[in-house]
Amino acid sequence: MGTGIAIWQVIILTIYSMYQIMDELTLQTSLSQPIWAGIIAGLVMGDLKTGLVIGGSLQLTVLGVGTFGGASKIDANSGTVMATAFAIGTGMNGQVAVAALGVPVASLMIQTDILARFANTFFQHRIDKMIEEENYKGIERNYLYGYLPWTLSRGIPVFLALAFGGPFVRTAVDYMNTNLAWLSNGLATAGALLPAVGFAILLRYLPVKKHWPYLILGFVITALLSTLYGNVSLLGTTIAGIDSKFTTAFAGLPMLGIALIGFALAAMQYGRTVKEQQVVAAKPAASATDSNEQDGEIHGDEL
Amino acid sequence: MATNSNKTTDYKLTKKDFKQMNIRNLFFNQVGWNYERMQGSGYLYLILPQLRKMYGDHTPELKNMMKMQNQFFNTSNFFNTIISGIDMALEEKEGAESLETVAGIKAGLMGPFAAIGDSIFAALVPAIMGAIAANMAVQGNIMGAILWMLVNFVIMWFRWIQLKFAYTQGVSLVNEMQGQLNALTDAATLLGVYVVGALAATMVNTKIIYVAHLGKMTVNFQDKIDMIIPKLIPALIVGAIYWMLGKKRMTSTKAIFIVIIVAVILSALGILGKAA
Repeated sequence: MGTGIAIWQVIILTIYSMYQIMDELTLQTSLSQPIWAGIIAGLVMGDLKTGLVIGGSLQLTVLGVGTFGGASKIDANSGTVMATAFAIGTGMNGQVAVAALGVPVASLMIQTDILARFANTFFQHRIDKMIEEENYKGIERNYLYGYLPWTLSRGIPVFLALAFGGPFVRTAVDYMNTNLAWLSNGLATAGALLPAVGFAILLRYLPVKKHWPYLILGFVITALLSTLYGNVSLLGTTIAGIDSKFTTAFAGLPMLGIALIGFALAAMQYGRTVKEQQVVAAKPAASATDSNEQDGEIHGDEL
Repeated sequence: MATNSNKTTDYKLTKKDFKQMNIRNLFFNQVGWNYERMQGSGYLYLILPQLRKMYGDHTPELKNMMKMQNQFFNTSNFFNTIISGIDMALEEKEGAESLETVAGIKAGLMGPFAAIGDSIFAALVPAIMGAIAANMAVQGNIMGAILWMLVNFVIMWFRWIQLKFAYTQGVSLVNEMQGQLNALTDAATLLGVYVVGALAATMVNTKIIYVAHLGKMTVNFQDKIDMIIPKLIPALIVGAIYWMLGKKRMTSTKAIFIVIIVAVILSALGILGKAA
């Protein structure tokens, strides 16, 4: 099984979790996404593959969660760090780690996120005071103090859980693998199901009523092709098992290809809309606003 | 409007100023985010050196402007410098007299830019790039994640150049862009809907494991369903969660926990299982 989590691993993962929230707020390099949390935690723990699988799985779960402006969202990044570290450190199944550790930790950390956003109100008021005193350096200093609540809101919980949670998690894992097989099977199923939540949330924020034919297109094209690809590669492996001279390997369905079909459809729609608007613009200006309202479904959803 | 009694030092923004604002935006935006005024202090921090140059230190104009710029503000952090650019063009021209206009423009533009910025950069790009990256990751491939990072660096470049662009175009910019932005949002949301359909078909790895034994006949439900259309179960699950999210007082976090509990129960009953 796993070898536990060493103290240097705890420290690096804590520093990463402090960095990721600042990246999310400022640069947005994508390093704050669960997928990168999985990659980095996987590398630190010495098992990139497990990290990729857990990061990918939590990435899908939160696909649509980023849309709420200014609202706290579940911290899938810290959840991924935790799930990956414990999965590799204690030999837990990846899918189980996602459902049993990743998601609960991610949602618990909504609380520390709220705390950080409250704490910054204090510095906001200090800035008011500095403006009154015409202390320009003080304004900038108090603005940058915002780093403290933000980084600590991630760093402290991640450090505590990784440093002291190990023995507890290991005992729980042992017990679940032996006495509670039904639960760990269930959690693995839940882990496989969680991406569906991400997709559903995303659909809530997209104008489904307007673009529903494309929902069907995307689903059917992919369902049929992925079945075909899956069956062909299954056939390939089976034949290779029977006949050693058969060496052709079949790759899986490339998602990029599916996305490119969608991109082409979107480009056609863009061309159509621009043309429509040019026709509208040629008419008197009064009617222009009306026709903009007609296809304004997204605006209704946004409000 | 254009009276020349503006009490500024007649300072004109230079290349260096734009660079300073852009660096402050990319590296420090939202550091001071708080519940009371959200990006309020961040907006002030971003343009503070330029305000000081325009009005001069320890002048009443500077103090008034700083107070106004420290009020509530919140918009997409991918478009915020467009508003700053328009603001700077105005203040440079009209000085302290622009105070009310600037406050109005900030309040008026932050909503629309938040809506379009969030729908493209907070929802669509992470959805599509995240889907591609996650899809490759579960197969043990790191390239998708790297591709995502490259895309984000391109976006950063746009965030860098838009400030100067907005500054030169000034106020007329928003009206001009409106039509194109609508078409772009429309096409982008179409792509988003399509991709979610594709994701539902590939990334929800579950199937019915229940096999009925009727006398000597066994009925494998999953095989029957596959004859209707493959991946029907994942589609139904996404549909059910979509419906559930439309209920009052339902949050995404609640929905996630409901799904975990229901999945554990259905799995324990031997109905639903993980697909290979």
